[in-house]
Amino acid sequence: MANKAGPGQKRLETRVEASKRWVVGLREPLRGFLRVLRANHLTMVGFVLVVIISMTALVVAIVPAMTQLVIGHPVLVTPYDPNGLSTDYGQAPSGSHLLGTDNLGRDMFSRVLAALPLDLAIGFGITAFALLVGGGLGLVAGYWDRPRTFGGVVSVSILRIADIFLAFPPLVLALAIAASLGRGTGPAILAVLVTWWPYYVRLTRGEVLAIKHQPFVVAARAAGVSEVRILFRHVIRNLIEPLLVYYTMDIGTVLVTFSTISFVGIGAPLDVPEWGTMVESYARFLQSLPWTVLSAGGAIFLTVLAFSLFGDGLRDILDPRSRRALVQVTLSSTLAPKAAVAAEA
Amino acid sequence: MNGMPEPVLDVQGLSIDYEVGAGTFHALSDVSVQLSPGRVVGIVGETGSGKSTLAHAIPRLLREPPARIRSGRIFFQGVNVLELPKWKLPLLRGTGIGMIFQEPINSLNPAYRVFDQVAEAVTIRKLRESGVAPTLFPSAEPHDYSRGTRVKTGEAILHAVVPRVPNWLPSARREALMKDVLDYLRLVRINDPETILDLYPHELSGGMRQRIMIAIALSGKPSLLIADEPTSALDITIQAQVLTLMKELMDEVRTSILFISHDLGVIAEMADDVGVLYAGHLVELGPVDEVYTNPRHPYTKLLMRAIPNRYKRAGPLPALTGSVPSLANVPPGCPFHPRCPLAQKICGSDPGPVLEAATGASVRTHLAACYFSDEVASLP
Repeated sequence: MANKAGPGQKRLETRVEASKRWVVGLREPLRGFLRVLRANHLTMVGFVLVVIISMTALVVAIVPAMTQLVIGHPVLVTPYDPNGLSTDYGQAPSGSHLLGTDNLGRDMFSRVLAALPLDLAIGFGITAFALLVGGGLGLVAGYWDRPRTFGGVVSVSILRIADIFLAFPPLVLALAIAASLGRGTGPAILAVLVTWWPYYVRLTRGEVLAIKHQPFVVAARAAGVSEVRILFRHVIRNLIEPLLVYYTMDIGTVLVTFSTISFVGIGAPLDVPEWGTMVESYARFLQSLPWTVLSAGGAIFLTVLAFSLFGDGLRDILDPRSRRALVQVTLSSTLAPKAAVAAEA
Repeated sequence: MNGMPEPVLDVQGLSIDYEVGAGTFHALSDVSVQLSPGRVVGIVGETGSGKSTLAHAIPRLLREPPARIRSGRIFFQGVNVLELPKWKLPLLRGTGIGMIFQEPINSLNPAYRVFDQVAEAVTIRKLRESGVAPTLFPSAEPHDYSRGTRVKTGEAILHAVVPRVPNWLPSARREALMKDVLDYLRLVRINDPETILDLYPHELSGGMRQRIMIAIALSGKPSLLIADEPTSALDITIQAQVLTLMKELMDEVRTSILFISHDLGVIAEMADDVGVLYAGHLVELGPVDEVYTNPRHPYTKLLMRAIPNRYKRAGPLPALTGSVPSLANVPPGCPFHPRCPLAQKICGSDPGPVLEAATGASVRTHLAACYFSDEVASLP
């Protein structure tokens, strides 16, 4: 009655209103996330480190490529050319060389920085591949596992194949594959790739088995929810949390494994800046030029630590139970919100 | 009762085994129960007497392999549930047969808020009602479930004029389901449903969770509701609250209810008719007051005697001699005969008169699977 605007106007208004509510809906989980970060200092440290490391890696990787495209030659973000030799060899860390130089006069800071995108991409990428392949297979093996059916046969086959891989210690298997493929970054990546997915099959299958026999799945079935919807809404939703936590923590492990392959001398070649290769080639100078080994090793240490801390905290952030618990602890002194009142019955 | 109404549920001679490594367990042997529309039938029995198996078998929720339906038929609204193809089973549940479970703590998905849990069931019903999803049984409509909220005239006009918010936005979806969700939460006597919409199950008390489970079950508007020990996991005061609520709801929502419990008192309170299960056999079936005042099966009689009475303090509580037989080797003949004071030779070989599932008006008849029913009254 009061509104005499046309229907188009109205539709626009309701749309704007709806999208506003959507934004408001996103704000709440974000607040929960920030609260956990504030309440848990180690998670905060991990989160900040992960953000800094990832951002740096992105800049180091993208800027040279973009400048190559735009102005024809790459502009390096690192202070020196990571492979550029100079006469300032064996210098201790100083203002001009933050982490010193190595035996050939290459700037260690530039080398460590240049290796960051490769190492991080390996960590993220191999783990993501394992998560997708292993998680997918684990889901199939866990959900359709009724014996004497087609699904049961598939399930058992997946598990036995995974078992073959799991029979070897992961590092030994990865080393064996890498060694048989010859030296190179590609073969080393392939080796870890092949080694890593069976662990996710195991993990996912176990979780799926635990979830699918939970009473709430039976209750959902009793409410008329179809099997496909149960799989997505009830099983996968409860899988995300443990898998994501495991994924985050695993990034560090993959990184260490890859570096180990390089350290043994069958991973990334010497001219490719890679932390494991660097540790290997500078190991001889541990006494004379300790900053060379320590900066490469320290980079591995810091990255692994960052992801472990963050992964640990991620559990608190993703699990509604612990998230709410934390929030209520921080709020209890100020006011018990309506939640507490409503929970009384 | 006028004429013979078509029973909502007609279980005929249902026998179910569990086949596990250790052997075969006869969870149910030749059980027949009928439910007329609007009636509440209680099933009472000890732990392991097959109550839950019966409850889960009707909407086909049993896991088969371990379980195997040996014989029998389950007619729900005239359709034999046991012959339905697997893909049709979800269509049977929710809008056809609703279920309330024993443990409200585990029966709600910990990852979703109250709103989403109820909304899921509402969505399923709406999809089926609107014909988007196929449906097997149209849900029983006659009841007006809305309670408390009245659509104001102004609002109704506004709704007619304002075009709907696009459906693909989560907030719009929430908006569309909000009224129903709030209605059902109010129906189960949650006074400020708005305040709990965004809470997770673990933030609620046991009674609150069970109310939400009831709201979920009712939001499918089922024509048969199976309550599988809905109060056993709750402590005694909450139990009373939930039972009062269910009692009130029975008057409001006239669905047929199969109420399963191990508690004779609860059954007396809730049910019109009662069936007594012993070691997978239905030993007695009849109207509650009949069965309770005048049991016709020795097991029921002795069970009644074992109920503590606060007005009688004479000596120790009488207990049944012997123990419940293992379901792996139920005694031949009447399952109760090794413990029965009235047992005769025939009891060891003959399971007693068959409890003919009585239809319609004759559901009021009182039956017992015992040849010596007339002597039961003479037992101490």
